[in-house]
Formats: sequence, C-alpha cells, structure tokens
Amino acid sequence: MLPDRYHNAIEHWRQHNFPDYPKLAEVWPKFFPKDDAFCLCAKVSEDISAEIEIGDDVGKPKAVQPKELAPEAAQHLLSQIRAQASTEFGSIQQHQMTLFRAQEPQDQAWALRVMAEELRHGYQMVHLLTSSDWSPVTDTKAEDMVEEILSMQTGSHVLAAFNLEFDSFLDNVVFAAFIDRVGKYQLTMQRISAYKPYASSMPPMLREEAFHLAAGVIPLRRWVEHAARGDGYIDMPAIQKAVAKWFGRGLEMFGDERGGQTNVKFGLKDLNNREAQDQYIQECTKMLDDLNVRYVRARFPDRTRDEADAIFARVASGETVDGLTRDDLLRLPDRRFFRRRGEFAFQMIGTHGETFTDVEKYIAHVLASLPEAYRASIDVKHWADLQRAVAAGTTPLKEAMASMPRLARQAGGCPCGKSVRWVIN
Amino acid sequence: MADVRIRPVNELDIEAICRIDERITGKYRPEVWEDRVIYFIRRDPDSSQVAEVDGKVVGFMLGEVRGGEFGMEEPTGWLEFFGVDPAARERGIGRGLTDALLAGFKRRGAHVARTMVRTQDAEIARFVAAMGFTPAPVSALEKRLA
Repeated sequence: MLPDRYHNAIEHWRQHNFPDYPKLAEVWPKFFPKDDAFCLCAKVSEDISAEIEIGDDVGKPKAVQPKELAPEAAQHLLSQIRAQASTEFGSIQQHQMTLFRAQEPQDQAWALRVMAEELRHGYQMVHLLTSSDWSPVTDTKAEDMVEEILSMQTGSHVLAAFNLEFDSFLDNVVFAAFIDRVGKYQLTMQRISAYKPYASSMPPMLREEAFHLAAGVIPLRRWVEHAARGDGYIDMPAIQKAVAKWFGRGLEMFGDERGGQTNVKFGLKDLNNREAQDQYIQECTKMLDDLNVRYVRARFPDRTRDEADAIFARVASGETVDGLTRDDLLRLPDRRFFRRRGEFAFQMIGTHGETFTDVEKYIAHVLASLPEAYRASIDVKHWADLQRAVAAGTTPLKEAMASMPRLARQAGGCPCGKSVRWVIN
Repeated sequence: MADVRIRPVNELDIEAICRIDERITGKYRPEVWEDRVIYFIRRDPDSSQVAEVDGKVVGFMLGEVRGGEFGMEEPTGWLEFFGVDPAARERGIGRGLTDALLAGFKRRGAHVARTMVRTQDAEIARFVAAMGFTPAPVSALEKRLA
C-alpha cells in the first residue's frame, strides 16, 4: 500500500473522477463470482530478470534506484512512468463519461472492472514515483509529480488518445479493443525495463490488461452478430467510424515511427516504435478479420464454416456475394489516415490509402469517416484548422504536431476543496 | 512438419477456438467460447494455452488453479477444456499444450492437476492417460433431477 497521504489522495481523486466505483462491489458477485475481490494496491512480480536484457548494457545488473541509471536513461524512464500514469487515470475519466449508457449489464460490469484495474495501474505508477528517490533525475518533488498527474483532466493529458471525449458506450468498447491494446504493447515492452521496480510492475498489470482487451473484443463480436441479423442497435458503419476515431490516436501512442531506438539502447524497451506499431497493426487487422467472419456467419446462417470463409475471402477481395460488399465489413484505416503526430502527420491520406491534394476534399473525407458526435467536437475542429494551416504553409508541421486543443475545464486541485491540493501535506 | 508454437491464450484466439470446436463437434458456438475464454483470461491469462502452426491456432487447452473444492484444500490445476484440429493431430500438439498448461499450474503453486472425462469419451480418456493422468481417489457422483 502507498503511504497514507498518497493513498488518500488517490481515493479522493477516485471519489471525484470515478464516482461509480462502489457499484463494482455490488455487481462483483454476479459477474465475477469466483474471482478475488478487487484490491487497490501495488503489486510486483518476483519473476523478473536481475540483469539488463537489451541495449548497450545487456548483462549488467538492472537498476533498483533511479540514480543507478545513466542520467539520460533515467529521464526517459521518468517520462515513461509519468505518461503511463497519465493514461491510467485519463482512461477512467473517459470511461466514466458514458459508462451508464451501456445496454447490457454485463458490458457495464466489465467496463467498471476495467476502470478499477486502471485505477490500480495508476496507483502502481504513483508507487513507483513515491517509493524511490528521484531527486538525481528531477527537481520536482514526488508529491508535486503526483499532484500534477492527479490534476490532469480529459484535454490536458500527455497523449492525445486520452484527451478525446467518449460520445457513447461504443467508445468504451472500441477504446478497450484498440487503445488498451497499445497499452498491452507498452507494458510488454517495459517488462524488460532496465529499471527493475518498473519491470516487476508489468506482469501483474499485463494479466489485468488481458481482460481489458477481451472486454473490448467480446462486446464487439456480439454487436456485429446482431448487426448481421438486423436485430441490434449498433450497426457496422457505426463501429467502422469509431475505429476511424481511435486507430490513428492508438498508433500515435507508440511515438514517432522513426524513433524509439534510444529506449532500446537504454534497455528500457525491447522494440522500437515502428516495430511495435507494425505488430499492433497486424493484431488489429486480425481482430477486424475475426469480427468480419462472425458477421458473415450470422449473415448467412445456413452456410457451413468453409462456405462462410470462402464468402469472406471473396468479399474481402472486392467481390459482391449475395448482396454483401466490402463496404459492409469492417476495415482498418490506412496507418497514414487522420494522423497528427509521427512520420505521417498531416499527410492527406484517405482511409484506403488514397492521396488527396485538395485540403477541403480531404477534410470532407475525414469528416465523413468519423462518428457524428465526434465531428462536432473541438478536437476535430482543431485538427481541421491545423490541417488547413499546414496545407497552406502558414503553420509549420512541427508546430502543428505539438498542438493539442486544451479543453476548457476546471483544472488543478480537488474541486470540492476549491483548488486544495490532492496530496495533503 | 512446421514448428509448433505454444503460447498463452488471448482474446483474439476465440474465433480460432470456435473453428476447432466446430470441426470436432459440428456446432458453431461463439457465445459459449467467448464466455469460457474470457473467464480464463480474467482469472489467469498465463495458464491457458493455444498451439499455433504457421501462425494459425490449431489447438487449445483451458484450465486454472483453484483450491478448496470438494473438500480438497490443496491448490489444484483443473484441466477443463481442450481441443486439437483433427487435421493437426498426431503431431504432439496435445502433449505440448499439456506440458505448458501443467507448467503454468506449477508456477501458480499447484502440486496436482485434475480433470474429468465422461465414460463414453474413450478417445479423450486415452489422451489424458497418455499425458500421465491416472484415476484419482475421488468419485464423480450424480443424481438426475426430475
């Protein structure tokens, strides 16, 4: 457990940002009857190599204190932990927005559990920041780092994916399937971290993250079946648009495609950004293929498995089979589509990889590919303004890539205390 | 023969498991396997295993460690569901899955693994016997309810 001041700060944050947390205990016996009760605590794995596993110092002992790392490596590590913490707390704020719009009690219970486990992951990051001496790495005190993390709101988080509002429960589910999947990659890469306390934190988090991905994929699988039968409420175009909203932000969470070698050199991760992104894309493609297979089976219930597989293969290659076309199925957007960071930022590439030369036609294409509610957001307007400015040459690409809309929110300290700090001295 | 890769199950294996089950039973039961797979992923994602050949899942084995059931307090690794695509049998896939599953059970503190086989499933009984399972000093009892 964290020292009281930090534990209490997170509990207090939870009351404001995750008010439905007590409902988890109510639904637990029904939906997770054999599982141990949720525990808001830090967990570490003992089964971690004591030696650095990759990079320039491979074979040397892993650091157990930040000061044992090279200064630049320690800076990278601290950035990783802060960013990871931001994502954990940020996703709870996003899920909370639409949690109670879930149509199925089971889906809602799964999302509640995901949120609670994200809270535990945030707790884990705070443990890492407060249980070691970071003074050789930063002038910021531990309590101020925690204060900064707990004060972030949707709109002021480190990564863009955590600054987007959820518009419906569809976002809760697609977010779990796509954005938590990036989380899985980050945790997996960090499992070899040259900083042993961080590496030891990863296996328990990964075990929980496995459920988060399933909590995204399984509702999607059931929705596509209903969509195929025509007796559901969420159709394939709605899912496709949600995919278009999140996929690019997920890719950008890996960092610039051309980077990441420094983390490998320092032994902090075992893949560079592009390698990890490539694997992620492959996995997302498989996820959508499986959803499409489920859709085809439900759409043609009298066909055998092999016949349905053949139909899917023909439709995927562009044929129309018994009225089913490629556009009826889900498709991963091109990795360069609707990008704001990285190698392909603000390049005008369409969902299928087509190139646009007219910025207004490109913006219209992107808008038509996105969910209606999201199109009305400040985030989309901010992107469109930047896209125009980059195309016109009035805003440098580098400046556009660094720009993120700041949502007008009450920020800073605890709202019930009128900006009293979360961490009480 | 192509290399067999054994790895922990994940949520993207569900469709492949449905496919294997369908090849064995003739039934497409996605909801059943979704419920089962998420149960094991939720409780212990490292223990349950799948086997891949050329990147395609051709076998699965689901189980977990539990204790305190039927008066048996010791942590027990329960082998609950498994299947190998009929086209991929006789390649040691079942043995590879079993070894990985049992190793996971041991890591989780179990010193014994148990399973149950219906009397009419002679093929399954032969398989688990070949994997080293022997009759246990417990009786499986039932009572039909009107």
